[in-house]
Amino acid sequence: MSNEHYLIVSYFLVGLVSLCLGITVYRVLRAPFATIAEAATGRLRGRVLTRALGAFMTLAAVLGFLSVTYTQKGCRSYEEIVKDRAYLVQTNHQQLQRTGDWIVSAVFLWCVVVLICLLGLRRPTANRRNEN
Amino acid sequence: MSPHSISFLVTLVISIFIVLLIDRILRPGLRGLLEEIVALPSATEFYLRAFAIVLAFVAIGAMLGSSFDLKDGARFMECVWAVAAGLKDVFQNLFVVLLVYVGLMTVLIAALRRKQ
Repeated sequence: MSNEHYLIVSYFLVGLVSLCLGITVYRVLRAPFATIAEAATGRLRGRVLTRALGAFMTLAAVLGFLSVTYTQKGCRSYEEIVKDRAYLVQTNHQQLQRTGDWIVSAVFLWCVVVLICLLGLRRPTANRRNEN
Repeated sequence: MSPHSISFLVTLVISIFIVLLIDRILRPGLRGLLEEIVALPSATEFYLRAFAIVLAFVAIGAMLGSSFDLKDGARFMECVWAVAAGLKDVFQNLFVVLLVYVGLMTVLIAALRRKQ
């Protein structure tokens, strides 16, 4: 396989893998998150929040993938990029790494959202207790 | 197989093993703590799944980020050093992520205990 073929195939393959990683993380977290969101905010808002989780994870994954550039802001020409196979492999690694970093940041952010939902869930209970 | 590929694969296997080990060691205690604090099974499940995802992504990301600059005729110890350098990045990132998670758990405990 020539370097140019490798570049084309690996770019789209890594892009697809990144997207799949985002969707997988969403699917893993969806069920418990939907229950929490529904309990805290009601069925309709809960559904909106769950969809927001999906959109957020997918966007984070795609953003991570897209944040790596081959040209290094115009410092490398296309010919230089294609010539160096090791650089192509390294860039693919970097794309996957950035995808992982963005997904981790997004997961932490949604952990905070869950914390806020839990605080919201506790408030009515605490108020009821105070009234009694 | 080139020394580069061997070092990469060895680091990958050790990283996965470390993630599984940390998860196995911390999960029972973390589950107990969350069940007591959160008192909502789905929230416990969410935080445990988030923990596993974060560990896995951070470890593998760190491993992918480290460079294994080995020539074809590299000696055994050069491969070992490359693996050690890769593992250093993995441990460093795991350390940071565990710190962040501990911070998150502290906020969770402080906020929910006060409500209780």
